[in-house]
Amino acid sequence: MTTMTLLTCILAFLMFITSGRSGVYSFISLVINFVLLFITIVLIAGGIPAIGVSFFSGICILAITIYMGNSGETETDIAFLATVLVMGIMLVLIIPVEHLAQVQGFSNEDSEEIEAFNLAIGVNFESIIISTIVLSTLGAIAEAAIAVSSGMQEIIEQKPTIELNDLRKSGRNIGHQIMGMTFNTLFFGMFGGNLALFILLYKLQATFGYYLNSKVFVSETMLVLYASIAVIMIIWTTSELMVHRLAKQRKKNSK
Amino acid sequence: MQLKKKNFIVGLLIVLSGCLVYFFTVNDAFLYKQPIMRITHVKNNKTVNIVDEFKNHDQQTGQLITGEILNGNSKGEKFKVHNTYTRSRGMDQKFQVKQQVFVNIYQKGNRKTISISHYKRDTYLLMLCWLTLVLLFIVMRSNGLRSIISVILNFILFLIVVQLDVMWNITSFFWIYAISAILFTALTLLLVIGWNKQCLVTFVAIFFGTAVALMITVAAMWLTGDKGMHYEALDFATQAPKQLFLSASVIGLLGTVMDAATDIVSTLFELKRSQPKVSFKQLFDSGRQVGKKIMGPLINVLLLIFFAETFTLAILYFRTGNSFAYTFEWTMSLGLVQTLISGIGITLVIPSASLLAAAALRGSNE
Repeated sequence: MTTMTLLTCILAFLMFITSGRSGVYSFISLVINFVLLFITIVLIAGGIPAIGVSFFSGICILAITIYMGNSGETETDIAFLATVLVMGIMLVLIIPVEHLAQVQGFSNEDSEEIEAFNLAIGVNFESIIISTIVLSTLGAIAEAAIAVSSGMQEIIEQKPTIELNDLRKSGRNIGHQIMGMTFNTLFFGMFGGNLALFILLYKLQATFGYYLNSKVFVSETMLVLYASIAVIMIIWTTSELMVHRLAKQRKKNSK
Repeated sequence: MQLKKKNFIVGLLIVLSGCLVYFFTVNDAFLYKQPIMRITHVKNNKTVNIVDEFKNHDQQTGQLITGEILNGNSKGEKFKVHNTYTRSRGMDQKFQVKQQVFVNIYQKGNRKTISISHYKRDTYLLMLCWLTLVLLFIVMRSNGLRSIISVILNFILFLIVVQLDVMWNITSFFWIYAISAILFTALTLLLVIGWNKQCLVTFVAIFFGTAVALMITVAAMWLTGDKGMHYEALDFATQAPKQLFLSASVIGLLGTVMDAATDIVSTLFELKRSQPKVSFKQLFDSGRQVGKKIMGPLINVLLLIFFAETFTLAILYFRTGNSFAYTFEWTMSLGLVQTLISGIGITLVIPSASLLAAAALRGSNE
């Protein structure tokens, strides 16, 4: 048995014993997302436009992440809607900035790994990096949207008579603490993954100016920044939509 | 009326600061030691079609670039240099007029020649930083700025730790990162939550989740004898790859576990605040309820981050005639294992955070 298989089994087992049926659903959704991502890569490699494929698989992944393991209640609908909205806005930001900053493809530091390859492989590396960014921020904003909406729902359930302004305040309060943590998740997730790169850059005695301009560092940092921007927007959008929904519901009930 | 005026002034200040950042970074060549050239003229040669042995069609274009040096000893001098770019832009770039590039200047007798080193990207990076800060300020006011401070401090700490690792150069450098992980946690929680009971509860839950997840991982690696783990596929590895992988996993794991623990604990504390009479069981159940909801999405965050980062390399593998299995093993498997480790950490932290928070909050009533 490979290490990966054993770890997968352990994860499946733990998810089942800690969360029962919804744990099983979460595990299945992970597997489906993995398969979707793999298919996305294969399709892009096959020459289908990267941004289109990723947008489509992004929506699928989002729907699976949000709806599977969560029963289809209204707060999950709100999380989904908010995520799609923010994703759309992010695309408008990402596409021009990536075109200007030119961080696609491989960097000088990669050269050892890819020296055996000829890089003129007829794909558009710029749209590939845009897909990378869109998909890697997607997870973070979906997660923040769910955390805000389910946290607020929890409060509404415990205290159904809560004032709208108090709810908004609670939402911001949760949002604020979640945001700090989500930034850190992204930071540790991305920089932790690039630990080896940082050690290498340090060994090469890169200057501060080099960090600010080198392809590999700029692209990693921009990834964290895009994700942070998306998370800030999602917290605002989700809490406003939750408050809006409660207000609408009360209006309907009072009639 | 007063409020409107204040908002107007704040808005004006934001726009002005943005312009300032832009103009400063466009004209900051004097701050760099390496010569920077501003491109004044570009002449494109004919485009050639090229095909490699895997039938990948691409186009190659040559450029003759003329530019002026903006800083250093050669300031004001003009140079010409050749550049080639491909349509796919894997490692090259199409240059345009007004762009700035870092160059190396070589002296050969009386003649000076240059080569392009890398593109100047600081403007875009800093503008994006500016945008993030502005949004943070608009949505969260000064509270939001506090959460970014924790990231900045963590980043500085991270660089210091990397520096220590390189300087000490000890064989079991994993422990440097393990201990720094504890510091990262403490620092982040203190800044985001502040020094109180909530912070302590979260810290204990995170420590438990991370440590146990790591032990499980190491045990699994030992049991299976690292079968299928291609540590040598780790990019940029300059130290013992297995330890490096574990160190990277700890740091990646920490982020998500921290996220899950804070989500649960902060929701429970918030619940207690809005409804002081809530019971232990209610609290524990609410905690697990939140945990159930965020578990799947949170593991997906990491799956997406780790997976998306392999896109470029995986596509290169696929396009150059490698099989699915080979590409998967050499470009994706390590990232996937990191995701699995983080997933294990999250599943462990949900019950422990719910239990600890519920216990701590019950105690506060008595």
